[in-house]
Amino acid sequence: MSAVAVDKKKAWGGGQSPFNLSYGKIMMWYFLMSDAFTFGAFLISYGTTRFFSNLWPNPNEVFASFPWFAPNGGAPMAFVSLMTFILILSSVTMVLAVHAGHCRDKAGVIKWMLWTIIGGIAFLACQAWEWMHLHHHIGNLWGSFAPDANGVIPYAENLPHFFGHDVPAALVASDGAAAAHKFFNFFFSITGFHGAHVASGVVLNIIILLNTINGTYEKRGHYEMVEKVGLYWHFVDLVWVFVFTCFYLL
Amino acid sequence: MHFSDYESDQSRLYNIGHVEDKDSAASKGKVKKIWAVTAILSVITIVEVGLGLYSHFNHMPKTLINTIFILLTILKAAYIVRVFMHLGDEVKNMILTILIPLTLFFWFILAFLWDGSFWLWINHHFTIR
Repeated sequence: MSAVAVDKKKAWGGGQSPFNLSYGKIMMWYFLMSDAFTFGAFLISYGTTRFFSNLWPNPNEVFASFPWFAPNGGAPMAFVSLMTFILILSSVTMVLAVHAGHCRDKAGVIKWMLWTIIGGIAFLACQAWEWMHLHHHIGNLWGSFAPDANGVIPYAENLPHFFGHDVPAALVASDGAAAAHKFFNFFFSITGFHGAHVASGVVLNIIILLNTINGTYEKRGHYEMVEKVGLYWHFVDLVWVFVFTCFYLL
Repeated sequence: MHFSDYESDQSRLYNIGHVEDKDSAASKGKVKKIWAVTAILSVITIVEVGLGLYSHFNHMPKTLINTIFILLTILKAAYIVRVFMHLGDEVKNMILTILIPLTLFFWFILAFLWDGSFWLWINHHFTIR
C-alpha cells in the first residue's frame, strides 16, 4: 500500500491510478456490474411473472430428487444444497489460489486452481443431471406444458406433482399448465445462462492453470491474472446465491 | 513522464509487485479468515435449507420466512464480495463506483413486482383479456 499512497488532493492529478488498480481489474469489476444487471433483469422478470400468476409451482415439490438415493422425489432441497455447497467450496479454493498468487507461491496456485476446476466441473455435472432428470418428467426443457397441435398438453399427468397438497385440484387443472410452462422456461433460461457462465469460467480457469504451470506469471512478476479470473469466478458463485434464493427458497 | 510510460510500466501507477511472505503471521491470518468466512457461508446455507424444509412441512407465515431468506442472501452476498472478491480492501471511491449503481435494483425490484401484482389484480377484476 505504501508504495503508491493515494493522496486525496492529488488522486486525480495524473501519474498514478486514483483507485490503485490496474485497467484490467477495474474493467473486470465494471463488466461484472453490468452482468449483475443482466442476471438481475432475468430474476426480476421471473418475479414479475410469478406475481402476475394465479398459481406457481412449489420448488420443494419440483426439486425433490437426488441421484441414486431418491431418484423419484422425497428429498426436497437436498440436491440443490449439495450444488450450492460445491460452488461455495470452489469459490473458497479460488480465493486461496489468489492468496497463493499474492505470495508468488506457484505450487500453491496450481494446487488451488486444480481444486477450483474440479469444483466447477462437479457443479456442471450436477446441473446436467438435474436438467436431464426434469427433462424426463416434463418432456421438453423449454416450452414444456404447452398444448400440442391437437390441443393436448403432453405430460399433463405430472402437473399435480409440482404443487403442494393444499392446492385445490381444480386450480391445478385450470392454471397449473400455464404456471409450470412459465416456471420451467424461466428455470432453464436462468440456470442455463448461469451454467454458461460456469462453463466459460472453467475454461478461463484451465487457461490460467496452464499459464501458471508454464511459468508465465512467474516471469511477469505477478499473478494478477489469477485475481482477475478469480473475480469472475466469485461472481458466478454470487449469482448462484441469488438464483438459489429466487428459485429454491422463496 | 510521458503517457507512453504508463503503458509500458504500469507498476508506477498502482501497487502490483508487492509480494507477501507465505509463512508470515499476516499471510496465515488471511488464510484463517478465508476459512472462517467459509464456515459462516456454510452455516448460513444450512440455516436457509433447514428453514426451507421446516416451513415446507410446518405452517409458517410466508412473509416472515421470505424476509429472513432475503436478509440471509444479502448477508451471504456481502461476505463473498467483501472478503472473497476483496472489495473491502479497495479504495473507498472504487467501492462506491460499484455499489452506487447497484442501488438502482431497489427501484427495479419494487416497480416490476408492483406491476406484476397490479396485473394479477386487473385480471381478477375485469373479464376482458
